[in-house]
Amino acid sequence: MNTRPLRYNRRDTLAAWLMLTPFLIFFALFVVYPIIMNFYYSFTNYDLNRAKWVGLKNYRRLFKDTAFIMALKNTSIYALFSVLALTILGFLTASALNREIRGLRFIRTLMIFPYATSMTAVSMIWLMLLDPSTGLINKALRLMGLSGVDWLFTVRTALPCLIFVNIWKNIGYCMLIFLAGMQSVPVEIYEAATVDGASEGQKLVHVTAPMVRPVTFFVSITTLLESFKTFEQVKLMTGGDPLYSTTTIVHQIYQRGFTEFKMGYAAAMSVVLLLIVLIVTLINVRFGGRAE
Amino acid sequence: MKKTKADRRFRVLSALFVTLLCLMTGFPLVMTISVSLQTMSEVYSPDLNLIPDALQFVNYKTAMTTGSWARYFQNSLTVTVITVVISLVINAMSGFVFARIPFRGREPLFMLILIGMMIPAQVTLIPVFLLIRSVPFAGGNNWLGQGGTGLINTYAGLIIPYIAGSFGVFLCRQFYMGFPTELDDAARIDGCGRLGQFFRIYLPLSGPVLASLAVLKFTGTWNEYTWPLVMTSGDAMKTVQLALGAFRNEGEVFWNQLMAATLVSGVPIYLLFFFAQKHFVSGLLAGSVKG
Repeated sequence: MNTRPLRYNRRDTLAAWLMLTPFLIFFALFVVYPIIMNFYYSFTNYDLNRAKWVGLKNYRRLFKDTAFIMALKNTSIYALFSVLALTILGFLTASALNREIRGLRFIRTLMIFPYATSMTAVSMIWLMLLDPSTGLINKALRLMGLSGVDWLFTVRTALPCLIFVNIWKNIGYCMLIFLAGMQSVPVEIYEAATVDGASEGQKLVHVTAPMVRPVTFFVSITTLLESFKTFEQVKLMTGGDPLYSTTTIVHQIYQRGFTEFKMGYAAAMSVVLLLIVLIVTLINVRFGGRAE
Repeated sequence: MKKTKADRRFRVLSALFVTLLCLMTGFPLVMTISVSLQTMSEVYSPDLNLIPDALQFVNYKTAMTTGSWARYFQNSLTVTVITVVISLVINAMSGFVFARIPFRGREPLFMLILIGMMIPAQVTLIPVFLLIRSVPFAGGNNWLGQGGTGLINTYAGLIIPYIAGSFGVFLCRQFYMGFPTELDDAARIDGCGRLGQFFRIYLPLSGPVLASLAVLKFTGTWNEYTWPLVMTSGDAMKTVQLALGAFRNEGEVFWNQLMAATLVSGVPIYLLFFFAQKHFVSGLLAGSVKG
């Protein structure tokens, strides 16, 4: 505190708190209070009837729960591949579009379209395409003389399908963010590189990539956080099957909390998710390299 | 400037890459439209049937009369519009305070809100549900919030948890910080209080930021699936997304009708998207620039 501010005006202070009141009520009730209560519930066996304090029992159970361990593993795989693919493909697409191209507006609109569409609708579209008997993908495979695949009903292919759908939906968003970052790179740098005889490929590696590093960081952190929240796709496309191979953390929270009503146990899972999100956020704050 | 062979190859490669990506993005969308206009025998036939023999617009009618879609649209629209309007006013007002009115504890409070922005709603699904369930005097509850269902399965239950929206506060603060401070002095000289300053000067100038925020908030609320899923039961309170998700639950899947419903469910978003794409994009980009 080196800049001792002018003494606060009492009327200003009053006005400020008055104007903040509506927001703060909602913020306190639906953001702060639930986080605290989540910790409390996680130490109880609350089942919508009565809550008894059970100490760390829920947490001890978590790490013997096959479904939850599978969920942790699946969510990590899902996050890892989503982030890698979205960051790399987003970067490449943006750099391919970062020039005078006919139809740029059309391409951009087309690619943001899946992003604006709800995950419910996207899930329905891919259920249709991936259906073993009537799906377009298996029809095409059979017309080529290959045999169809039970995409969402096979342990080896189900999770990769979900990851693919996630990439398909979000690539337009990543492209858009990268494109904005690339357009703010000063043209002079590229001109200088051209004078020095750099090829297009070299410019991409030695100019564009380092210049948009903060954007790359932002895109990977955002997609990472999004990936850890995956639920709708799982609920709508696979239900966590086959053999828990597609269940995720939030899907387990939903299953335990809202189909079995084990609220205390589901709250313990939520705490684990919160810790993961906090770690990612701390990394973001620590290494984020603020944009300004 | 001479173009080297490598540069030309690079250009061809990147054009090829973009074309491929567009096909990957476009094909599923084209197929959705195509299947929505096919007969079920075309769906079952082993051929791809990219273009249906005769366009079966009747699928749309059948899909919309399977279940009460007018009701689902009414539910979704009510929830979305109320959420957007209330949260926009509250967010803009708070953003103004954080940008313009100095008071003790302002910075720590703003940090707290930024942290809140990072917490995903999925983490607090359980406690928020229990909170809504135990609102006193609602849904047969007593004054302690016990005994009934609270605000579960009501519009209020669907709307209230979405109103806070730290992101909106953040976005509005960024926007207002760019306003010249002379504006405030002029207002003070004219005898305008802080509240008047916000409503008479800042709010009327907030068009761009509120448009972006409204488009983002509308899309987010309309597309939401998880919260309505746990909050509602029965057909009367179903939102469009819930109805779409439940479409295929009974017996044989009528893919043609399902695709028709899928397309119809997105109509408000697509309209918004085409008429306000600029705001949609600027909202997304504003979210990516940290201050």
